[in-house]
Amino acid sequence: MRKVYLIFCVVLQLSCFAQNKELLYNFTSIPQSLLVNPGADVSYKYYFGFPILSGISANVGSKGFTAYDLFADNGVDFNQKVRNVINKSSRNDKVMTNQQLDIFSGGFRVGGRESKSYVSFGLYQEFDFFMYVPKDPALLALNGNRDYIGKSFNLGDLTAKAEVLSVLHVGYHKKVNDKFVYGGRAKIYSSGANATSTKNSGYIYTGQNAGNPNVYNQIISSNLELKTSGISKFTKDEYEGNVARDLVSNTFFGGSLGLGVDAGITYYIKDNLQLTASIIDLGFIRQSKDIETLTYKGTYQYNGVNPDFMGNDNPEDVFDEFEKAIPRDTLYNKYTTWRPTKFYSSIQYSFGEARPDDECNCRGQINKYYKNAVGAQLFAMTTPREPIAALTAFYRRNIFKKLDVKATYTFDSFSNKNIGLGIAGTIGSVNIYALANNILEYKDLSKASSAAFQIGINFVFQDKED
Amino acid sequence: MKLIPFYKIPSLFFLTFLFFSCSSELDFDQIKDLKLEPVFVANLAYFDIPANQLIDDGTINIAYDVRNFTVFKDKFFNERLKKAEFDFEIENTIDRAFSLNMLLMNDQNEVLQTISFPVPSYQGGSNVIKYPTEVFENERLALLKQTTKIGFVVLIASGDPLNNQSSGSLKLRSSATAYLVIE
Repeated sequence: MRKVYLIFCVVLQLSCFAQNKELLYNFTSIPQSLLVNPGADVSYKYYFGFPILSGISANVGSKGFTAYDLFADNGVDFNQKVRNVINKSSRNDKVMTNQQLDIFSGGFRVGGRESKSYVSFGLYQEFDFFMYVPKDPALLALNGNRDYIGKSFNLGDLTAKAEVLSVLHVGYHKKVNDKFVYGGRAKIYSSGANATSTKNSGYIYTGQNAGNPNVYNQIISSNLELKTSGISKFTKDEYEGNVARDLVSNTFFGGSLGLGVDAGITYYIKDNLQLTASIIDLGFIRQSKDIETLTYKGTYQYNGVNPDFMGNDNPEDVFDEFEKAIPRDTLYNKYTTWRPTKFYSSIQYSFGEARPDDECNCRGQINKYYKNAVGAQLFAMTTPREPIAALTAFYRRNIFKKLDVKATYTFDSFSNKNIGLGIAGTIGSVNIYALANNILEYKDLSKASSAAFQIGINFVFQDKED
Repeated sequence: MKLIPFYKIPSLFFLTFLFFSCSSELDFDQIKDLKLEPVFVANLAYFDIPANQLIDDGTINIAYDVRNFTVFKDKFFNERLKKAEFDFEIENTIDRAFSLNMLLMNDQNEVLQTISFPVPSYQGGSNVIKYPTEVFENERLALLKQTTKIGFVVLIASGDPLNNQSSGSLKLRSSATAYLVIE
């Protein structure tokens, strides 16, 4: 039973999602926006993130149900709530989580004062969890098969993956001219722990077919596989270490290694019409440390314990037969996992021309800018079944020269009224930002199907304007 | 450069605090109340013996076999089984009456329970008998859980001996229903 609790805790307390950083995307007064578009039009002389506090983000989301549905303190029997959640969810409903923590980050301009080439780098820790609602196996566990004669329970509903990793990255972006910025980022992934079970298939069937001499036609066809890396030693009885400490040490030193790239562009079609696009985490991890793969593969038709009156005395046992037909195998093969690849694009129209500080600029060099911007953003991400996508409309307003706010309205598979608000301000060289989406749900977070926030502090140094 | 007026700074922090919001009272301890009560059905046993294979040598005990039935050795299943039901259906198309005994036995071949099914002889027409459900609860369930073998004994009532030319067959179909409570 402890295992069941553990699974519940992992699934529900961490049940989060989104990965879509619609507020951060193209919010160029925040240096971390380079992490969602390495070709963002960000400029600085140099910057560094406040260690640990430069970027903290978490996304929480589930489609089909909310934490409130399960854990509301409303007197309804918990088992009934579990039943309701399972009954109203579908196999394509998902539970996702993404959490990121910047350990350190920084950047500097390369070349002289007139140069528009920049380097940025950093190390961040990331946790990803993704699961589809295992509808059929859950129904079977809740109700058994008695009331489902003729139904084939789909074992392919079991799809989940989880990973803890650290990412060391170096990026470069260059503003070629007033119209075009491009950038790229190379990443080294170090995965401390990975569990992947995404290629399952099979079914459990109980039918009553005419012509069958037995009461039921019962077949289990199983093609289940769980690959793990960096986890198996924690599950052994001999293990006496500290899971958290060992996991951190595996994540930053001595995890399974992988490589990835980000790439992006910003293009000004006109002075006030901007197009951007980026692809993030196009990469893989070669899972090679402490690997263990569990499989249950085979087909078994259960006919019952049937006497043989013809005197053939074979001592076979149906349950031994079952274990022979669908054996539990443990393999130790390295495997490759692909990172969830994200794609972003945006189009932005700016208006409300202004000059810095609305003051007379006596040197004749006019750095005009726009106080308002509206536009649309597209987000897409790969998942084990079909990609997910989101469309965002946004409005960005420059309140003071150093204080920007951004509001977003996002349609995605989790919600169609996801309003986000972000604020980024710079006081002296201290850059502070806070972003949160789904703010309508903040009045009762437990009923939110998804929520995400991100906060951070940076020190950004620009050229003195003298 | 104009700095942000100082009076604006508190509002900036206020906005930040807005990000920390309220939530309905949630009670995660409810997980401890999780109680799954699935009901599974499965085949139990079947046979189909033609009359000409029933050796009728004058004794009444004409067919006998014992099968291993080790499902209760599975600790998880054994501990969580709260109730079991067996359903039996026999079709006899032989013009002799029978009796089927089902013996629930333990590792030492001791008979823990015997379930008997009288089978009337075939008189033409349909001769399918559905027997009342055998329900295992409490002490009877405890005995069932010690079962590791099932014996089948077919007894024949007196009458003309069966031979190679005898027609008809004796068929059994049976199923089990297991009520589990997992918490």
